[in-house]
Amino acid sequence: MSMQKNMSICVNGQSQVPPGFRFHPTEEELLQYYLRKKVCYEKIDLDVIRDVDLNKLEPWDIQEKCKIGSTPQNDWYFFSHKDKKYPTGTRTNRATAAGFWKATGRDKVIYGNGKRIGMRKTLVFYKGRAPHGQKSDWIMHEYRLEDNLTSETCIVTTNVMGDGGQEEGWVVCRIFKKKNHLKTLESPLGSGETRRTSQHQHRNDVVFDSCEEEEEGGLEQILEQMGRSCCKEEEEEQQNDPNGYNKNGIRMGRAIEEYQHEDRFSKLPRLESPKSNTNEYHPMMEGSYSYPYPYPYPYSFHHHQHQHHDDEMEGGGGMITNWAALDRLVASQLNGQSEDSSFNAAYTSNNNNTTTTTTVDPTMGYCSSDHLQLPTLRSSSASSSSISSSFSTAPNNNNNNYITATHDNYSNTTTQIDLWNFARSTSSLLLSTSSQPL
Amino acid sequence: MGDSDHDHHHRNNVNNLPPGFRFYPTDEELVVHFLHRKASLLPCHPDVIPDLDLFPFDPWDLHGKALAEGNQWYYYSRRTQNRVTNNGYWKPMGYEEAIVKSSSNKNVGVKKYFVFYMGEAIKTNWIMQEYRLPDSASSSSSSSSRSSKRKSQSKTDFSKWVICRVYEHDGDDDNDNDGGTELSCLDEVFLSLDDLDEISLPN
Repeated sequence: MSMQKNMSICVNGQSQVPPGFRFHPTEEELLQYYLRKKVCYEKIDLDVIRDVDLNKLEPWDIQEKCKIGSTPQNDWYFFSHKDKKYPTGTRTNRATAAGFWKATGRDKVIYGNGKRIGMRKTLVFYKGRAPHGQKSDWIMHEYRLEDNLTSETCIVTTNVMGDGGQEEGWVVCRIFKKKNHLKTLESPLGSGETRRTSQHQHRNDVVFDSCEEEEEGGLEQILEQMGRSCCKEEEEEQQNDPNGYNKNGIRMGRAIEEYQHEDRFSKLPRLESPKSNTNEYHPMMEGSYSYPYPYPYPYSFHHHQHQHHDDEMEGGGGMITNWAALDRLVASQLNGQSEDSSFNAAYTSNNNNTTTTTTVDPTMGYCSSDHLQLPTLRSSSASSSSISSSFSTAPNNNNNNYITATHDNYSNTTTQIDLWNFARSTSSLLLSTSSQPL
Repeated sequence: MGDSDHDHHHRNNVNNLPPGFRFYPTDEELVVHFLHRKASLLPCHPDVIPDLDLFPFDPWDLHGKALAEGNQWYYYSRRTQNRVTNNGYWKPMGYEEAIVKSSSNKNVGVKKYFVFYMGEAIKTNWIMQEYRLPDSASSSSSSSSRSSKRKSQSKTDFSKWVICRVYEHDGDDDNDNDGGTELSCLDEVFLSLDDLDEISLPN
């Protein structure tokens, strides 16, 4: 391929991004190339990513300032320095004149070449002032380098900060507007959209709408409550205990994300009736997928084969590997059996719809008094196999596709209470599926 | 700095673009900047899409021959009635989309979907989008009047360029799309429940 040499671009000026090209860096590129250079004071050839004072610019201003060329953009990138703290604590002040950025969910670990290279925080822009802000569609992903890595990152040249020739506090951010519907078909970003046909697009819109509307409906809330116990103001905790943070509670969320990735706008299955919803999320082009299972998704939560592996189990919990078991967990909370210090987690391996139950040795110390104590769970083959088969095997999904019903070290009394309250409020729903005695 | 990490993004080097720039054309760009110019025998800038003519490459053989970006491969070809490859053929999936120029609302092209069959009947996950100019207009300009007399067209029309975009629809390319600008449904849930959070949890 012969190339013209004068294709270099001038970002933020009159730019010459060649037609068809977009700045769409991977998370790894953002961290390993751009942010590393930034913290090491290395020059970045083109001013692709500008510095933005998050307190001064509203999202819609950032959109203007961080334009790359004249091509349409769906997302905008900038560096931000987290030097603004609230006087009373360590949290970063991300307030602007018109509103503020508020963290949501929990931070995601970013891997590069199999190693942890950084973290991603998701924030939402609210208009107004803190307790009464009005949520907007503006989302920010804030990437920071893994702390213990940054110090090795830089080839020391200057030593401005006196701590190894790098500056703490820089993050690289991407903002974009959340879309409630699928992107248009000519969206350039990946094949996920372009592979969908127009009739499927319509269908997905409908499905996604129902996803938003029915979030009162059970699973989502359970997941949220379970997840919330490990996403309390993330920064401090995970620096204190990166392992625990990473390896336990976050998994449940990730499992769902994995599940959702197949069609992220599809509705989550409901606990009580996986069959009744299967018609809704079937967005693939007809016949391009074929599973030997009665349900459309090849996802399973049982792939974690080495259940007894110590560091997988540390932090006070075990894994629940299907929806039925999750049911039972919450139901047993409901029944007041959480004092039971022995912990049996049900692992469901449902190849060929067979279910095996593994009992975790309680002497392995998962339930120290520091942790939320989880109830006894038993998986009955009869009741769980039918449900678990709806998440049947996908051989390529390992590691992440299981649920961890665990509450790690930063679980605290508050979240336990939340879970309890929640469990009570949804008792009718949950009890309908947890028929076996505990 | 491990610059070798980025060596696989060879096009960026070739294009003098910094890391992170990728060929993610919109349908409109593909048609307007690449297909129209090719059909008008104008030089394409940048000239990144190779012309594979009607070589019978199987989709998995495109790598190294077509322009690869992510899990997608781009190349020029010609319109043909039967897109047969060494080991199979591309079967029309039965629908098309009009490519409309956003500034003028004009039809500038058509996108047609194919699915790859191995041998006679083994359907695969390989999908091809074939971009062609509107049926009635060989190059830019003119109105968007559609004609359906293409049926009579037989075999290969060498005057008709197309751009093919091929990808494997396997759902396992999560990592490549990870940097997308959509939230997962779980994130949506978190967002929604942040509202409840204001009530139930002290801040």
